[in-house]
Amino acid sequence: MTTSILVYGLVNSVILALIAMGFSLTFGISGVANFAYGGFYLLSGYLTWMLLNYLGLPFALAMLITVAVAGLLGFLTYWVILLRVRGIALSEVIATFALGAGMLEFFRWMGFVTYEFTLPCFMKGRVEIFGVPLDYQRLFIIGIGLALVIFLYFFTHHTRIGLSFRGIAQNERTAISLGIESDWTAALSLALGSAMAAVAAIAILPLGIISINVGYDVLLIAVAVGIIGGLESVPGILIGSLILGYAQVITGMYLAPEWMMVVYLAAIVLVLAIKPSGLFGKFKELEERV
Amino acid sequence: MLEIKNLMVFFENALAINDLSLEVHRGKIVGVLGSNSAGKTTLMNTISGLIIDMKKKEDRKGGERITVLGEIRFEGEDITDTKPSERVKKGIVLSRERHPVFPDSTVEENLKIATYLRKDPQIKKSFEFVYTVFPRLKELRKRKAGFCSGGEQQMLAIGMALMTKPRLLLMDEPLLGLSPAMQQDLIRAIKEIREEGVTILVTEQFARPLLPIIDRGYVIENGTLILTGTGKELMDNPEVKAAYFGL
Ligand SMILES: Nc1ncnc2c1ncn2[C@@H]1O[C@H](COP(=O)(O)OP(=O)(O)OP(=O)(O)O)[C@@H](O)[C@H]1O
Ligand SMILES: [Mg+2]
Repeated sequence: MTTSILVYGLVNSVILALIAMGFSLTFGISGVANFAYGGFYLLSGYLTWMLLNYLGLPFALAMLITVAVAGLLGFLTYWVILLRVRGIALSEVIATFALGAGMLEFFRWMGFVTYEFTLPCFMKGRVEIFGVPLDYQRLFIIGIGLALVIFLYFFTHHTRIGLSFRGIAQNERTAISLGIESDWTAALSLALGSAMAAVAAIAILPLGIISINVGYDVLLIAVAVGIIGGLESVPGILIGSLILGYAQVITGMYLAPEWMMVVYLAAIVLVLAIKPSGLFGKFKELEERV
Repeated sequence: MLEIKNLMVFFENALAINDLSLEVHRGKIVGVLGSNSAGKTTLMNTISGLIIDMKKKEDRKGGERITVLGEIRFEGEDITDTKPSERVKKGIVLSRERHPVFPDSTVEENLKIATYLRKDPQIKKSFEFVYTVFPRLKELRKRKAGFCSGGEQQMLAIGMALMTKPRLLLMDEPLLGLSPAMQQDLIRAIKEIREEGVTILVTEQFARPLLPIIDRGYVIENGTLILTGTGKELMDNPEVKAAYFGL
């Protein structure tokens, strides 16, 4: 029992972290809380599905196209939708939420709600870890989570664009005075965040069926992890995911799965009451947070 | 090199810069002297183009109305409406007031971030130059900028501006809050930077440390130019003495 809690708790935490990372990254760089995040996540799932089932593309190619399209859409979202409300946090949230809900409800309207909508696992089969059976897909998810963290570290420390992201995130005006463009950077941060939503979707969706509600859940997860760990902080995301991930698995095992959502909300309320900026967050004021 | 004609800057209806004209010739060090809220920072933000960005953001959210009138020319070209990144490309860069650096990044990363627009292969040379002008930065290069002292952060802020390979370096109150010894060190650095062919426009509240090295100075009060002259002329001027030397 304990080992399975340990193993599944870890897997679950990585899933949450993978989901939350893109959302948090965008927020950390540009201050945009992208509430269309769940929409991008699900759109990526359906897009991959369509590329596989309508066009019959190879899986790897479908994945690549999906990630690229999600990134591009994120980029356009900034220029077409966010630019008009930029700087007014509440309007940013409302605009992106409307966009996300629009995407999700569009797929419901299209009738994408049946059991046939599943993505293939990268590889079938399972292994035993400390006597706990674990399928390959979940192992892949852990691997992808790790790879993404390493990629992000490299990207933000050793590439020109990544360094400019950190500049804008830390002191926008100084960054601008050095020739970095804030709108361009914000648009790229939305592109990167959305592309990461696509990566998460392709890795995680094969564990179940693609359904509209997943889109809303994903947004809630991203917000919850961010609030608990502190948005825009990578260690914060990891800790927030571990707390929620284990809390979920434990309640799922000892209480009932229905309690999971209660645990989520209780954790959010608790953290907001004790340390509003999140366990690792830097922002002091509640208003600045989603 | 830089020519400003009849510049007016309004924040809403408040006049921050009033009909200001000034010129900066290539290879010179020019000073802008003025006490608190004289309009030094506003002037620097206007020349660097930061004000264009501030205006854009205020307009978007329906905030403060910022108006810039008049003309700014750089190398004969009108840049009044040019955005900051384009001005950096042309060689104008501002090291901002109170040395706002990137606190969570190391000194070296701060300098690297500043090379964002550079496409030429001589970035390494710029690092060497910055480390020769400010040897202390080399010792600190692995330290987070947020953990450096105020004086060290000031050097870093100027170093970052230098990493863009400027032709006109704007410095907003670089001497602010530094000990006299540190001020002298920075004065030496400013001269070294000029030796390298960089033209300098620098603001200051107290004229004392700066006057000996400037080729020309402009004294402003409440956004209005009240006096201009060579460094020596200003040093000998009784009004300047009274107002800015605290005599
Ligand atoms: N964003 C703004 N909105 C409204 N007024 C402003 C704004 N920025 C500056 N001002 C006003 O413009 C005037 C000039 O300010 P500025 O910051 O340029 O002065 P300064 O000479 O740099 O002063 P200090 O020595 O204190 O740095 C001041 O009266 C100030 O209140
Ligand atoms: Mg000032």
